[in-house]
Amino acid sequence: MTDERGKTNTEQDEGLEKAPSRIDENPEERIIRALLDSFPTAVTDFKKLGAGIVRASVERRDLFKTCKFLRDSQGFEHLSMITAVEYESKFELVYHITSYQHRLLLELITTTPKEDPSVDSVSAIWGGANWQERESYDLMGIKFNNHPKLERILLPKDFMYHPLRKDFKG
Amino acid sequence: MAEMWINMGPQHPMTHGLWNLRIKVDGETIVDAEPEVGYLHRGIEKLCEDRTYTQIIPIADRLCYGSSLTWSHLYCLTVEDLMGIEVPPRAEYIRVAAIEMQRIASHLMWLAAYAVDLGLMLGFIYGMRDREVFIDLLQALSGSRLTYNFPRIGGVAHDVPPNFERDSLRACAFMEKKLDEYEDIYEGSKVFMLRNEGVGLLRKSDAMNLGVTGPPLRASGVKYDLRKDMPYSVYPEMDFEPVTHKDGDCYARFKVRMDEMRESCKIIRQAVTKMPKGKWRIVAPRNAPAGTGLGRVEDPRGEGVMYVVGDGTDKPYRLKIRSPIFVTVSAAPKMLIGYKVADVVAIMGGLDMCIGETDR
Repeated sequence: MTDERGKTNTEQDEGLEKAPSRIDENPEERIIRALLDSFPTAVTDFKKLGAGIVRASVERRDLFKTCKFLRDSQGFEHLSMITAVEYESKFELVYHITSYQHRLLLELITTTPKEDPSVDSVSAIWGGANWQERESYDLMGIKFNNHPKLERILLPKDFMYHPLRKDFKG
Repeated sequence: MAEMWINMGPQHPMTHGLWNLRIKVDGETIVDAEPEVGYLHRGIEKLCEDRTYTQIIPIADRLCYGSSLTWSHLYCLTVEDLMGIEVPPRAEYIRVAAIEMQRIASHLMWLAAYAVDLGLMLGFIYGMRDREVFIDLLQALSGSRLTYNFPRIGGVAHDVPPNFERDSLRACAFMEKKLDEYEDIYEGSKVFMLRNEGVGLLRKSDAMNLGVTGPPLRASGVKYDLRKDMPYSVYPEMDFEPVTHKDGDCYARFKVRMDEMRESCKIIRQAVTKMPKGKWRIVAPRNAPAGTGLGRVEDPRGEGVMYVVGDGTDKPYRLKIRSPIFVTVSAAPKMLIGYKVADVVAIMGGLDMCIGETDR
């Protein structure tokens, strides 16, 4: 008797969860809503760039937490690319994160000041970040805190400059 | 037994290019590995900051000698995204046909090199001979054999040559027959199978976490192909199936690439027959607006991504290139540890390394 009733309850619950909702149908809006709920102040500037592509900005100090949340509860299994861009007064780090199951690409942008170009390393979350962070360190001079081995990767160990910076002239 | 480090490379028959694999061995068993890259670093990202948008197309070709067309196509796709240009449909079909030919040529080059790595000289001769068929088609299309400089921002350089459809269909029929023959030859070779089956295991969870993409990822059982899952160009109109395999060993990677060539034949056939009439190129503006552009393609070796930042001038402010092999090779220790020194050649050969794009 109890079993039967329990079963009906779960069925009802499932029925409720499956009720059509505009946000559930749309994976882009679902991820925006999830980020807004969990990080109301840290993650801002949401923008849908196209089918399956979402852009957002994140505070530098909340980057690691946000990335961990994305992998653990939002199904973003793969870090596609880390880009470092130099501007006049800041460095911008762009993380392209892919979700294989939801077919989504999240463009997560964080900024660091010129005087202290450093962010937390995400290589503990995605192993694929390890070499990409080393590359950004090598060519752009961004320091990744808690990185297991932050050394030059493409250039020789005794090279003295970070060549992708705008003040480096061949 | 005392453990020791061995350098395999940068001058070593296994490396297929200029890179170094340091392995720590305990007797014959690998206990640690450390790939070293950077010998071929040409600073292409910096170079691009001093070139106009059109001048970068041939530089993008030089990223990979095995599949140069996908890289110049990816570059054009990225800049079109930045400029907001719509490419004429005929150009998209020509591009798709050309990319798939390039994919077959690239996989055949891998197959040839892989065969000779594993003691199957016959496979090298056959692979290189039949790759010529597609190289000839691409030469008829673009005028050159290795670095094509064929895509343009807003289309492609030329219309297709006369009888292109007939020749492509013949090449596909030829290739499909040859692929069966290859599989018979390779799988009939006891040496090849012994060195492949159960070697270089990469679990699904590791493959995803370490950023492995392309055929090695699909060989570990992840069904993700950018042509299908985040389609670009006219791939949504093509009928094909992403190839997966569940084993995750070297043999699975071999199998995935073989089946991918079959799927490519199917796509080429559809692209050349469905190709609409019309313009194949529109003139793109010289200056790009300020903003960002993103391009993502399924390269023969994995996920190729470019990210361009424009500042309103005729030169990109920043161009970032994501090379699939750069990330895949960082996952090599996971595949190597626990196997014997003799398996290194099979494992690293099975990744289809291309140092041009790795080091950029």
